Amino acid sequence: MTVSGFIIKNAFRNKRRAALCVLSVAMSLFLLVTLLVVLNEFTNPPEDAGASLRIAVRNKVSLANPLPVRQRAVIEKMAGIDGVTALTFFGGKYKNDENTFFAQFAMDPEKLTAVFGEAKMPADQLAAWIKDRTSVIVGYDTAQRYQLKIGDKFPLVGQIYPVDLDLTIAGIYRGTTDDRNVFFHQKYLDELLGDPGTVGMWWVKARSAEEVPGLIDRINAAFANTSAEVLAETERAFQMGFISMWANIKILIGSICSVVVFALVLVTASTMSMAVRERLRELSVLKALGFRRHELFAFILAESFGLAVVGLLLGGGGAWLLYNSLSASALTGGLFATLTVTPRILGTAALVATGLGVVSSLAPAWSIMRLSVVEGLKTLD
Amino acid sequence: MPVAAPIVQVRELTKVFRQGEINVTALHRINLEIAAGEFLTLMGPSGSGKSTLLHIIAGIDRPTSGDCIVQERNIGALNESELADWRNQNVGFVFQTFNLIPVLSAFENVELPLLLTQLSARDRRRQVTTALELVGLSDRMKHLPRQLSGGQEQRVAIARALVTDPQLIVADEPTGNLDSHSAADVLDILRRLSRDARKTVIMVTHDPKAAAYGTRSIHLEKGELTN
Repeated sequence: MTVSGFIIKNAFRNKRRAALCVLSVAMSLFLLVTLLVVLNEFTNPPEDAGASLRIAVRNKVSLANPLPVRQRAVIEKMAGIDGVTALTFFGGKYKNDENTFFAQFAMDPEKLTAVFGEAKMPADQLAAWIKDRTSVIVGYDTAQRYQLKIGDKFPLVGQIYPVDLDLTIAGIYRGTTDDRNVFFHQKYLDELLGDPGTVGMWWVKARSAEEVPGLIDRINAAFANTSAEVLAETERAFQMGFISMWANIKILIGSICSVVVFALVLVTASTMSMAVRERLRELSVLKALGFRRHELFAFILAESFGLAVVGLLLGGGGAWLLYNSLSASALTGGLFATLTVTPRILGTAALVATGLGVVSSLAPAWSIMRLSVVEGLKTLD
Repeated sequence: MPVAAPIVQVRELTKVFRQGEINVTALHRINLEIAAGEFLTLMGPSGSGKSTLLHIIAGIDRPTSGDCIVQERNIGALNESELADWRNQNVGFVFQTFNLIPVLSAFENVELPLLLTQLSARDRRRQVTTALELVGLSDRMKHLPRQLSGGQEQRVAIARALVTDPQLIVADEPTGNLDSHSAADVLDILRRLSRDARKTVIMVTHDPKAAAYGTRSIHLEKGELTN
């Protein structure tokens, strides 16, 4: 017999309790990892290669206020620009599907390659889309979800705008960080709306990362003191601003995480206390046989730590396997394009499990260290 | 009277317990010598202090005043860690309720004190096997305590007390939970340990028949020796 063997036998002497404790730790750590993943997706949305070069230009008053079309010519003339496209969020429903999970944007098709070059599709599909103003390109995930193919009708029912779109699929793209979005012609939307002369936003692609700060300043300055002042910012900053509209989601999720960890500590500490309490006499006998206080403390610590680690492997490892092997889009009904268990998140879970193992063993270990052999033998006699 | 040089010397030993606001004197100025190889039985009514005296001699309790010298060491002067080492090397314990670890086999229970030594696994196996053979349980090594009878459990406990080859074996009412046949077996083993292996055995008992196995018997009453 080895000391580690002795500790393992003790940890699993009450198999049902040990299993329930491990499961509660595993479930809690799974929940913790899931919350951290969701928080990460909210606060650190995935970026593609072109994100660092893209500038989002919106109305300074609010995202809901449109921008005049005349601004395009001003922006296009600026030095250091690779491309500019309108981008108008349509916000419709696909065939009256109440759970339409993908976003729909009107844009300038001929600018797709310049501004959103990550969206890859065969050249003939791109050409067909550019050519037909009532056509649409659909992200691969959306096409998969609805079993769509080239040539299929793709009707969108307006929810923000008082028009419905009768679109035909010209292409299916993939390669972006969110292959759920669909894109159609800004001109088609303008036509249906009676040519209002406005767009939702401008998206600008800079020639190099060095050009970005200067371009942002120039764009903002160009429309200062006009009837449609703009706020130009990097794609990253735009996303973060968009996220801020989720209010205090970070605080909310952080609070839930804290509650989960706190409950976890209570559950494990309670289990360890019960496990030690029912063995007071045995631990006293070990003391009588010559085991020292710090050795008994190490036994209890190792037992508690072991349960927490097994829980971590099941909970954290389970979350890692689940989110890495299943489609996040399918798993979340399209809410998230990706759910990534990062090494940092796993590290946090490991840290929590370690802390858990230590904290939950402190009280029972302390009581054992203070207990005299004679008292321990009398306690359960 | 002691027949050889004393292994245990108790001098003016007093033990006072504090129970709330009241001080209770469990032992009062006890003087006692126990010779090596002696089988001493401690008798007396409940609360007379016999178990307390045994605990102090075995180093699991401390006197309030006085000295307890075992194998020429004043064990009252040892710190917790030194005392733990000393117990491991010099004292074997046999309890009334056996106190075996239920998740460990008979072999593993006996091996437990040896985990604190530097012995190799092979040497540990040899010593454990010898100890279990001595108590006649070499065929029950893999049995868990719940698979053994009370008498067998107590014999495993004696093997555990013997395995480190201590000079002193203390037994606190070792036959209290046994039938007469098993009790006789256990007492016989203790007597042989004293007589043949020259171990010093100190046993607390209420039973005059059990006390008859010892080479000397002393009585305590209200914390004082009466003979």
